Amino acid sequence: MKTTWKLLAVALTLCATNAYSFDFQKELSNAQSLGQELKAKRDAIQAPMQAAGLTGYSEPEEIAIGRQIAGNLLGAAPLVKDAALQKYVNKVGRWVATQSERPDLAWHFGVIESNDLNAFAAPGGYIFITRGLYKLLANEAELAGVLGHEIGHVIRKHHLKILQQSKMLDLGSSALSKQVGGNDKIAGLIGSGAEIVSRSLDKDAEFEADRIGVVLASRAGYDAYGLPQILQEIGHAAPTEDSVALLFKTHPHPDVRLAQLGEVMDSRFDVAKAQTLPKRLVKIK
Amino acid sequence: MIKRLTLVLGILMLSTQLASAVEGGVAVKNDTLRAEPFQDAKSAGTLVKGERADILKSTGGWMQIKTAKSKGWVRMLSIRRNAARSTGKSGSSLAALASGRSGTGKIVATTGIRGLNEEELKAAKYDEAQVTLAESYSSSKSDAQSFAKQGKLVARKVDYVAAPGGAK
Repeated sequence: MKTTWKLLAVALTLCATNAYSFDFQKELSNAQSLGQELKAKRDAIQAPMQAAGLTGYSEPEEIAIGRQIAGNLLGAAPLVKDAALQKYVNKVGRWVATQSERPDLAWHFGVIESNDLNAFAAPGGYIFITRGLYKLLANEAELAGVLGHEIGHVIRKHHLKILQQSKMLDLGSSALSKQVGGNDKIAGLIGSGAEIVSRSLDKDAEFEADRIGVVLASRAGYDAYGLPQILQEIGHAAPTEDSVALLFKTHPHPDVRLAQLGEVMDSRFDVAKAQTLPKRLVKIK
Repeated sequence: MIKRLTLVLGILMLSTQLASAVEGGVAVKNDTLRAEPFQDAKSAGTLVKGERADILKSTGGWMQIKTAKSKGWVRMLSIRRNAARSTGKSGSSLAALASGRSGTGKIVATTGIRGLNEEELKAAKYDEAQVTLAESYSSSKSDAQSFAKQGKLVARKVDYVAAPGGAK
């Protein structure tokens, strides 16, 4: 009996090895045709890591990439000039992020000048919500839900994975050396300006971020229905509105996202003491 | 005569107020109406996908609704609301306009800044001063903790939920 098990285990291992080497060969030949042997080796190492939810970037690299994207985004839409508002959003965001598996990341949150209804996440914990979306919020629980969704993108490294799929770049130590004026190597990696934030993620990544958003808000003591409630509001904007053009292009329609949430939000999210805090929401000028 | 006019006017005003206070919605799935906003509360009827309902109240994840046959509470995710929320308390469309929300669900642009589009984002130039400013507003973990305490926010354990298909 024991031998049978052992045999089975060996057979399984062999199968797995075969599958792996087949992929490896494919990766290798594809890349070789491009004349990039070095790149192929890196892909071969990183592809399985990616499948496991890891990326080949260290945390400092991730932050450097995110900082560059944040700087580019802020170049298009600067921060709303209201220090009290910005500090408030950082407190809510940090409290929600503290409930995630990356509580010690240096999280940064901000409200940016745009009448669009949208929010953005960049790797390393840079998160922004537009003035337009902020104005639509009825309470702090809705803000927590929106930020929780973006925190979900950061902790699951959704954007880093996109970068990894599109381009390979050995950042090395030079990525971290330049501070002022941004970093050329990273700029090359992320493409023009803040274009990366206008790229669509896989719709499953958006649904995943929604599920994480409601869980993190709920862990933080908020009413978990803040995110669904603001999604309902966004859903009322006509698809032809300029303010939702980018959001609707890059995300599944709010009705579809609500239906997905409707399938997983059950009595676990009914909490008597959960807060919405409508009065604490800082009004935007 | 004047009295009667005032009365008519009064009724008219009342009825418009009522009309703006009641919000409608459509059921997006079959569900059970509950006597109270809890999953294990007594059944108060059924809701059929596509059925219209008036939304009377909403609290947390629950909505109190009135259908042609019954009245009760359902989960908010069972209903798709017809119109954007008015500002709530006042029920006045003027307040909605002032806050940037209009009755049609359109967001009224008040500052004249255009929407973000791909071209604009592509052309965006890195702004170091803005990133530094953004980072200066950051909150520490202990700041956030005392802020949570002020709001009576109590952290609790909630597991991540799997996708409807099964995978995380």
